[in-house]
Amino acid sequence: MSSNPSPVRPADGPALELSAASFSYGREPVLDGVTFALQPGEAVAVIGPNGSGKSTLLKGVLGLIPRVGGTARVLGEATAPAGAVGYVPQTEGLDPQFPVTLEQVVMMGRYRALGWLRLPSRIDREAVERALDAVGMTHRAKSRFGELSGGQQKRGLMARAVVSGPRLLLLDEPFNGLDQENRDALIGSLERLKGRGVAVLVSTHDLELARAVCEKVLLLSGTQVAFGPRNEVLTLDNVQRTFRDVGVEMDEHTVVIPGHEGH
Amino acid sequence: MDLLGFLFDGFSLPFMARAAAVLAALSLVAGVVGVLVNLRGLEFISDGLTHAVFPGIAVGFVWGGREGLFLGAMVAALVAAAALTLIARSAVPTDAAIAVVFTAMFSIGIIVVSRETNYAGQLQQLLFGRLLTISPAEVVQTIVICGVALLAVTLTAKEQVFRAFDNTGFDAAGYRPLLLDLLLNGAIALVVVTASSAVGTLLVLGLLIVPGAVARLVTQRLWLLFPVAAVFSGVAAWLGLAFGFAASVDLGIDLPSGATVVLTLVSGYFVALLARLAVDRVRAGRPRSEVAS
Repeated sequence: MSSNPSPVRPADGPALELSAASFSYGREPVLDGVTFALQPGEAVAVIGPNGSGKSTLLKGVLGLIPRVGGTARVLGEATAPAGAVGYVPQTEGLDPQFPVTLEQVVMMGRYRALGWLRLPSRIDREAVERALDAVGMTHRAKSRFGELSGGQQKRGLMARAVVSGPRLLLLDEPFNGLDQENRDALIGSLERLKGRGVAVLVSTHDLELARAVCEKVLLLSGTQVAFGPRNEVLTLDNVQRTFRDVGVEMDEHTVVIPGHEGH
Repeated sequence: MDLLGFLFDGFSLPFMARAAAVLAALSLVAGVVGVLVNLRGLEFISDGLTHAVFPGIAVGFVWGGREGLFLGAMVAALVAAAALTLIARSAVPTDAAIAVVFTAMFSIGIIVVSRETNYAGQLQQLLFGRLLTISPAEVVQTIVICGVALLAVTLTAKEQVFRAFDNTGFDAAGYRPLLLDLLLNGAIALVVVTASSAVGTLLVLGLLIVPGAVARLVTQRLWLLFPVAAVFSGVAAWLGLAFGFAASVDLGIDLPSGATVVLTLVSGYFVALLARLAVDRVRAGRPRSEVAS
């Protein structure tokens, strides 16, 4: 997918390792007591209600929100190495009128590695083509980003996140409001990335997604409720403790959370 | 007077040629910087800067005359740009903070100027510019400062656009936006300073904001926005100067040149707006199959 792939050596250890980590904008921790490890080629689903600290955790890993306690190792470093972590943000904050094409958005993912004062070369353009191909969006490369559907925008941001060959990929609620075709496309992309040794951390309240791509689950509710293999962690008791303030029902495939789209 | 005469006659006079040179440099840079102002939504901050520069101009003028003007304006503008960058990063509600700080600075400027004996005349020059009495040395100053501002934004254009589109994604990519914001706000400040002497502190905003808005109406192709804005403002400035000259020579009407130029820009904006609406209407009227292609 990239001109500078980063083959993962088993000796590298966890892609992400947090121990009693807490994150805060100010004095009060927004999220604390987070302890888990994410191995290369593995996916962890971060599940919790709105305001439970899912986005905070992702931004904390990126270094955008200060860690105020515990320890964290991102790709073996104390802080996320610049450009080595791919990030798929929520699309809601993006201006649909912004005059930028899909391929220009994906190219932004090359800028950091490219460096200041340098313009994209043929190598960069080829990497963009491959990334768009990998998410099945080549046919919309020249379209204005804001004209794409929500799901197509997500796939575009996914291409941007992986175009520089990150070893760790963070996705913030990537499946909100997606139709089945776009969900399948994203799940397929995630599976292929995992097969290449990319570690994936994805925040969601979509258990179907968690079952489709994630081996492990991290339940958050301002603090860590549980972490472990998906089937051990996703018990009714744990899920009720995670969503205790909003009330929850759960069956084999679905968590029904009031106020959320129940997939 | 024929069209060619209208467009070119006046510029054989040295003061008109100097005005044209200053406006050409300003339009090019204000166009390019203005596109980024538009994409980042920094119109209000730019307005704040025009107010903040005024006391610098006033103090510089009172202490050093015309020579002190540039220096005073430059110091005030760069200090204000740095202050703005920091205000925008803090938790203070930005718009209110900008309004408070910069109207205060504007008031200080007026008080400083009012201590001068020739109060009204000087205030008018500072507020509305003196495009036709610019000295050769000021032409050189303008071109140099415009060049610096142009370099600051063109060398960081791809990062500026990334940040404008998706500031969270930009931060997540490992960028620290402080330097970038300082460069852009600094470039805006330099445009404001140089444009202040040409069209006055109150009219700078037109030069900075209208071309970018026109470019957004004309094209949705990212890298085309910059040349479109620069060429549009250059042409509009030229037409405005020529019109002012013709009105003065042929009709005996003395139009303030800065305001004439800005009004020409704004007229161009309305032409572009009407054209855009017309094009959109024609496109919307087409059968679906063509739109979808």
